[in-house]
Amino acid sequence: MRFRAILAALLVTGACRAAPPESGTLYGEPLTLSEVTPISAILDDPESYVGEPVLVEGLVVAVCEMRGCWMDIASDREFEKIQIKVDDGVIVFPMTAEGKTALVEGVVEVLELSYEEALEAARHKAEEHGEEFDPTTVTGPETTYRIRGHGAVITE
Amino acid sequence: MGRKAARWRRWNRAIHRDLGYVCVGLTLVYGASGVAVNHVRDWNPNYRVTVDSFPVPDASRSAGTDGGFPEAVLASVGLEGPVRGTFRPDSATLEVFLPEHTVRVDLDGKVATVERIEERRLLRRANLLHLNEPRGLWTYVADAFALSLVLLAATGLFMMKGKHGITGRGAWLTGLGILLPVVILLVLGS
Repeated sequence: MRFRAILAALLVTGACRAAPPESGTLYGEPLTLSEVTPISAILDDPESYVGEPVLVEGLVVAVCEMRGCWMDIASDREFEKIQIKVDDGVIVFPMTAEGKTALVEGVVEVLELSYEEALEAARHKAEEHGEEFDPTTVTGPETTYRIRGHGAVITE
Repeated sequence: MGRKAARWRRWNRAIHRDLGYVCVGLTLVYGASGVAVNHVRDWNPNYRVTVDSFPVPDASRSAGTDGGFPEAVLASVGLEGPVRGTFRPDSATLEVFLPEHTVRVDLDGKVATVERIEERRLLRRANLLHLNEPRGLWTYVADAFALSLVLLAATGLFMMKGKHGITGRGAWLTGLGILLPVVILLVLGS
């Protein structure tokens, strides 16, 4: 009898996931900030946000196909988006999040890439999307701003 | 001495046998997921992604996300809403998101690609467990499984006696298994 109870407990453990918040699915740590920063405000003056914790909200427009280790969130302004990068395996965003709304908390970070690093990053991204890599799209060193995500809630 | 050795071997066999039974399920999950994840660069182990292209003769640069344009695009590729959202990554592209499809319209080329993402249900769940996405209590189960594999390997060394055991053929095969990763690391220069 005790053996069966232990077995049942183990099986239940396997089915357990982090409890989702009231609406949507939580990925990573619970959100602690309440004030949403518009993505356009971050992109207008990114240097002033570097190192700052922010809460952003937007439509998920792309997700890392290989490992779910990043997703792009549409800005509140046309033609703009920002990347949410998480540590590989710590948070895994599902591809099915595309088209859903995400509320993400994280810290703004800057990436200063040399020409070679930018070339490699573009090659990697093309590979992830199964696209042919065009090296002429990279013209020199690049500075990119993104959010190091700690937690996200994704809703339908 | 002889009786002590016999008792020790009985325990070794019992641990190897029973732990082996317990580990069958998880070994299958981790094995299947391991093969799938090894080939992540060539093949998506979690999702089946299909992409089809359709001409969209009515697409134009002036088309926006309002005025029913996304719905008109969907009609031309044989899909219908509800539209979850739209996005313009640049002035020549419109993306329309549906629950199971993403439609990307090249407004210059007047072509739409329809991407469908389907979850590989069993493999997705196996990968989820293998990569410890649930975290929490599952971490302890995965740790216990890893330790069990170590114990299975250790007890496995002493399952057989004589020329097929660890003092005979077993020593060569065990050495081969240890050498394999060492040689590969040396070749890679890591």
